[in-house]
Amino acid sequence: MTTLGPQAQAQVVIPPRTRALEGGSRLEWALMHLAFLVVTVFFLAPFVWLFTAALDAQAAPYIRWPSQPTFENFVRIFDRYAFATALGNSLFVAGSTMLLTVVVVSLAGYSLSRIELRQKAWITYAVLLLQTMPLSATMVPIYGLARELGLRNSYLGLILIHSAIELPFLIWLMKGFFDSVPRHLEEAAWLDGRTKLRALFEIVLPVARPGIAVAAGLSFLSAWAEVLMVLILIDQQSMKTVPLAFYETFRTAGGYTEVQYGLVAAMAVLYLLPVMAVFFATRRLMVRGLVATTRGL
Amino acid sequence: MAKVEYDDVWRQFVGQERPAVAGLTLDIADGEFLVLLGPSGCGKTTALRMLAGLEHPDRGDIRIDGRSVVGLEPKDRDVALVFQSYALYPHMSARDNIRYPLRVRHLSTAEQDRRVARAAELLGIGHLLPRRPAQLSGGEQQRVALARAIVREPRVFLMDEPLSNLDAKLRTHTRTELKALQVELGVTTIFVTHDQAEAMTMADRIVVLDAGRLQQLGAPDDVYQHPANLFVAQFIGSPPMNVLPAERDGDTLVVAGGWRVPSPRLRDEKGALTVGLRPEAIALADDGHPGEVLVSEPLGSEVIVNVKLGDALVKLRTTPDVRPEPGAKVHLRADPAGVRVFDRESGVAVT
Repeated sequence: MTTLGPQAQAQVVIPPRTRALEGGSRLEWALMHLAFLVVTVFFLAPFVWLFTAALDAQAAPYIRWPSQPTFENFVRIFDRYAFATALGNSLFVAGSTMLLTVVVVSLAGYSLSRIELRQKAWITYAVLLLQTMPLSATMVPIYGLARELGLRNSYLGLILIHSAIELPFLIWLMKGFFDSVPRHLEEAAWLDGRTKLRALFEIVLPVARPGIAVAAGLSFLSAWAEVLMVLILIDQQSMKTVPLAFYETFRTAGGYTEVQYGLVAAMAVLYLLPVMAVFFATRRLMVRGLVATTRGL
Repeated sequence: MAKVEYDDVWRQFVGQERPAVAGLTLDIADGEFLVLLGPSGCGKTTALRMLAGLEHPDRGDIRIDGRSVVGLEPKDRDVALVFQSYALYPHMSARDNIRYPLRVRHLSTAEQDRRVARAAELLGIGHLLPRRPAQLSGGEQQRVALARAIVREPRVFLMDEPLSNLDAKLRTHTRTELKALQVELGVTTIFVTHDQAEAMTMADRIVVLDAGRLQQLGAPDDVYQHPANLFVAQFIGSPPMNVLPAERDGDTLVVAGGWRVPSPRLRDEKGALTVGLRPEAIALADDGHPGEVLVSEPLGSEVIVNVKLGDALVKLRTTPDVRPEPGAKVHLRADPAGVRVFDRESGVAVT
């Protein structure tokens, strides 16, 4: 075995590679920023197209500045394609899904976090296993079930299935939140004279508020964006949600041959706005919540 | 106000090889300040939580005022618990925290205000009431937690190491206050701690627990002067009791280094013996058994002198003016009234 003498130690120097990030040549700097720019443009381009095309009566499948910016597309989707109905349907379905999901995952997450069971680890993993199943695999049985139960073309059917899709993941998420709420808090409330259920509502849930905001936000966004189940469960015009209206406009507005890009873009813009509203309304809680979850894992 | 009884209470947690609490039997008098003392894992907190209804005994009965509480929910037991972590509701102000148990009981707003004000005055926290727990120091949170416990005038106070998150100075101060408060309110109090100084200063009686079993129950002086076994002898007292293996020779006991210690009257003991001597039961004298000073530790009001005796080390307590240098030759004499003898095998006191 050899040992390093003082001379050998003195030869250890900081590798010159690390300097490139600090200073480097002008060329390196330029190449790096060019790379950033390319990536940024790549991801932003579709959104730029959406907003320019929405304001362009003669929109085409490439980015061009509208010669005469106009709201004509927006007027047309509401006048001729009953977009208001689709928007209303989507808001109602996503909002109801959010309410139902929050109630269910709060109770389920709390139970999984607190109840002592010998098979708890298995139950917890079984819940997560459900999340890994591809949704499309369940398409056919869900269609059959919905038909038998009269849940096709029904808001209830959509709300139930949209809630079910995100339940496993959100139950896990909420379990993590409740794990981080000290048990002493609810025990103190029991000793102060509260029943277990009221202690949950008055003490534990308010403390777990960031978690509930995350669950609410994610379930709303998931239901808002879901298209596959809507596609198989809804065929009545009056029941359509935004993604379906959007999809059908793309396929049929111009008679299959000529896609009405302007209309599609206008719908997409209105489809994005509620998502952004939800995000900005809950972003502080969401960030706090997501940071708290990863810390708990 | 109430008396509390534990009647052969057992509790074993799943996956643990020995019970957390094994056959605990205790009678706690009305208005008594009882301290459950022991090292961590000795079952003291479990014993307390079973009285609160947060754990359930496998076997045995727990009674408050003669009525079994074993099947009752925590909310129906009318006991208040102060947690080590204080467990203040973080989303409520100090005032709402203290008011919470009163709100639960549907007291009139005027009555709630009156009681909150009185509890706040008693603990000197009137100015803290509008603040949230996060805006309070540890000591302040502790007072709010106490106020929340006393405001509802429960039958029994339970305290689970409520002082251990305070700094040393505040802890000593709060100790005195808490004891005074308990005397004033006269509510039966069960206080859990691993700190023997807390136990000695506050308790009417101390219960020493180890490995789930009751080791000794008695007044602080009694437990200190007459420990029931070697565990108690070494757990209580700072520095702890000197414990030396001894051989019997007529009326004396010969310990390490050939030191002959006067023996108290013994029952007819067959087995090997161990002698226990409190540091204050050993004095430096002009004549007596010789030893060599290892080091002297001045503590201000007293000095702890460490003396080498053969291969054993003995700690004794002297006044601040006596401070022998390391290496100094000294002579030891044991106070005959302070000699305690234990069975070496079982550790049980035989005097």
